[in-house]
Amino acid sequence: MEQFILFATPIVKTISILILIVAYLVWLERKVAAKMQSRIGPYLVGKPHGWLQPLADALKLMLKDDSKPKNSDSLLFNFGPIWIMVVSLASFALLPFYFNNQMINTDLSLMLFIAISSLVIVGIFVAGWSSNNKFALISVLRMVAQIISYEIPLVISLLVPCILIGSLNFQEIINYQDGSWIVFYPIIGQISFILFFISALAEGNRVPFDLSEAESELVSGYTTEYSGIKFALFYLAEYVHLFGISVLASIIFFGGPNGPIFNSNILIVIKSLIFFTIILFVRWSFFRIRIDQLLKLNWNKLIPISFLVLLATCLIKFYLDVKL
Amino acid sequence: MNIIKVVKNIFRNLKFTLGNIPKKAITISYPEERKNLPDRLRIGTFGLTSNKETGEENCIACKLCERICPSNIIDIEIEKRDGRGFAKKFFLDLQSCIQCELCVQICPVDAIIMMKVPASPVTLRSDLYLTKTKMMNNAKKYEESWAKGSILQKSFKPAPKEVKENA
Amino acid sequence: MERRVIEQDFGDLALNMGPQHPSTHGVFRLKLHLEGEKINKVESFLGYLHRGVEKLTEKLDYDMIPPVLERDDYLSPTSNSLGFINTVESMCGIEVPDRASYIRILVAEFQRISSHLVALGTYGLDLGGALGGGASLFLYCFREREKILDFMESLTGTRFHTNINQVGGIRYDLNDSTIKQANDLIRYLRPKLNEYFDVISQDEIFIKRTRNIGVISKKLASESGGSGPVARGSGIHFDLRKDSPYEKYSEMEFVTPVGEIGDAYDRTMVRMKETIQSLNICEQVLDRLPEGPISSRKPIKSAKLLKPPKGSHYKAIESPRGELGFFIVSDGTSIPYRMKIRAPSFSNLSIVEKLLPNTYIADAVVILGSLDPVFGDVDR
Repeated sequence: MEQFILFATPIVKTISILILIVAYLVWLERKVAAKMQSRIGPYLVGKPHGWLQPLADALKLMLKDDSKPKNSDSLLFNFGPIWIMVVSLASFALLPFYFNNQMINTDLSLMLFIAISSLVIVGIFVAGWSSNNKFALISVLRMVAQIISYEIPLVISLLVPCILIGSLNFQEIINYQDGSWIVFYPIIGQISFILFFISALAEGNRVPFDLSEAESELVSGYTTEYSGIKFALFYLAEYVHLFGISVLASIIFFGGPNGPIFNSNILIVIKSLIFFTIILFVRWSFFRIRIDQLLKLNWNKLIPISFLVLLATCLIKFYLDVKL
Repeated sequence: MNIIKVVKNIFRNLKFTLGNIPKKAITISYPEERKNLPDRLRIGTFGLTSNKETGEENCIACKLCERICPSNIIDIEIEKRDGRGFAKKFFLDLQSCIQCELCVQICPVDAIIMMKVPASPVTLRSDLYLTKTKMMNNAKKYEESWAKGSILQKSFKPAPKEVKENA
Repeated sequence: MERRVIEQDFGDLALNMGPQHPSTHGVFRLKLHLEGEKINKVESFLGYLHRGVEKLTEKLDYDMIPPVLERDDYLSPTSNSLGFINTVESMCGIEVPDRASYIRILVAEFQRISSHLVALGTYGLDLGGALGGGASLFLYCFREREKILDFMESLTGTRFHTNINQVGGIRYDLNDSTIKQANDLIRYLRPKLNEYFDVISQDEIFIKRTRNIGVISKKLASESGGSGPVARGSGIHFDLRKDSPYEKYSEMEFVTPVGEIGDAYDRTMVRMKETIQSLNICEQVLDRLPEGPISSRKPIKSAKLLKPPKGSHYKAIESPRGELGFFIVSDGTSIPYRMKIRAPSFSNLSIVEKLLPNTYIADAVVILGSLDPVFGDVDR
């Protein structure tokens, strides 16, 4: 029994803090968007800033009617949102998110994280296919092509710091950045960060790459037939996935707990929130690009650049090792 | 060349939207703050005026407003006493009013006017049927708009040139 | 459980951009036959907003028609009544005083700016999505439009269907406070519109989405009866304000912008440049406003007194969508015998069936938005 409590306590702690943070990330997004558009965001529920708005939204979505289309496959229809949420939450077991000692500490943490968080596409595909709806089908076909294509620059841009440091373990990556961060490394640091940023936007389905939820063409994409608590699961799972990627960015590129002035655990959360806010600014300022232009951008421009950067990193590492 | 132009465009676009953050929001939070209503407002209800000195009602039931309304919402019954006409029944159906102010313009005695209130929502359909007593109470309760029949017709003068009009 | 097979032989996928859709600018049904992402065939269905305006005018007098006609093209209402009143005035031979003509021009140009702002804002919604960059552009355009509508409210009393035009002149006059408000408005709008023009015309993603999409050749535009920014984007110099000037437009100095290729980018640029030229016209009007009466008829005693002579007449004006024309047949009484409206959006929209095959779904929305149809005008 004590072993079970010892096993379950970090899981419960992490999940509860995570859900709370993600619910208030939705509030932050609505406030930032409203400020950029000359209006006030959530205002009335919990004056004067709408603090209780996420609670009201969650309550409303739980009480809504849980409908299912007539000719859809009921097992697969219920399977989609559950899978997405489970996978997005499971990837947080590897990150040194709040304690600086993650629950699973292996020598291959980074690769395992990418592998787990790329299982999300299975849930999305199942959800869109089993809805028995043409709009959802078209949107899911686009999304599968997009996510599979953008895995390559994502992985390669994450390999660059690992080659420089020499390990895939999160603790060693954090300890290496005690003096200066990876993003300040002369040229390859910045280029690999820009590649990672663009691929993270494409993986998380954010503007300018979000044409699978394009409301102007396909009414709501793969979530057209969902309502009630299942829709809430889709919505929150997207934010959990995005938050996971921003925590990863703050650990690998920005030093994690090694701040500019002092070292502390809380800096991981602060840096990932700043990265998240930059993604928000990009979302509310740009239009979206078409699917064939998006795939051309990937295969014609991003992949050659990423291979060149990888080659340059290997040469630099070889030169440094040989010299010393 | 091309990359530099793209990067410059991205930053200019971001500056365009982020430059809006420090400015104040332009929403008016409704029940606490209200907007200033202009003088000539004509989206509210109607009112039937009375003479300021004697308190007698101005409407002589000439039925000109009933004939010129494009939506046919006015219904008048005339009764004659004391040497002039009075309106026995004056019924206005506010549901179909298109706020064109043609009835106000054509009234020769400034009887029917529009009141300077914003249109308020009601719960019963019968609240939108205006009878004569309701309209006479409106004229005493609310503030009057600028437009009256005599003011709108005063600006009509024949032009100095010769006009050909089959009248 | 019964199972239905939707496509029998895996041919084309039939998708319905139905009457209710977030981006067809109104009620309009397009049946698309898709093959993957390419569109093979298009069938269009109209008539969801038909209200029978032309039949309704067979029972109303000439003085009662303008407020009803303003609901026709509901994004620039005074242009409808202006066209109708110009036709009646040329039938009866009524001359309008100078001051009335200048104020009619002022109101018409402000409505043109407001209509083009709506076109640009909803185009941003089509390109960027209701949650995304398009929403920011949409709210900025509507924020500027609110100031124009506030000016209309202080001049006439309602924001939108103002009913300011009347046979023989206008009904509401400018006084000192409204002139000052108009001058402040022009000074506020000019830098904002220039800034939007700069940012959007050089935005990388906007150029990628609209260059070489929906190219209308000169031959196609003139054969289908296109007019307005749709024809001017393809290089045809056709502007009714200069070719057959109607009010005192012959005394104003302005330039009509013309595009080159005829793609969606050119049409949007033509619209944005037109708004800046409209600001110039408004400034000239306010500088040279003459004194005098505002109507040339005697005070109206009854609507039945206006009886044009027998015959038929056609006159057209330049509305923000194109050439809006009215053909009136009169038989000597105070009620028109037949009135026909030549709607610009109807002729412009008929080009869509030739442009859409062999493009992507995402392009269909872009093309439809750049033609800028208003369905009150298409269906009447």
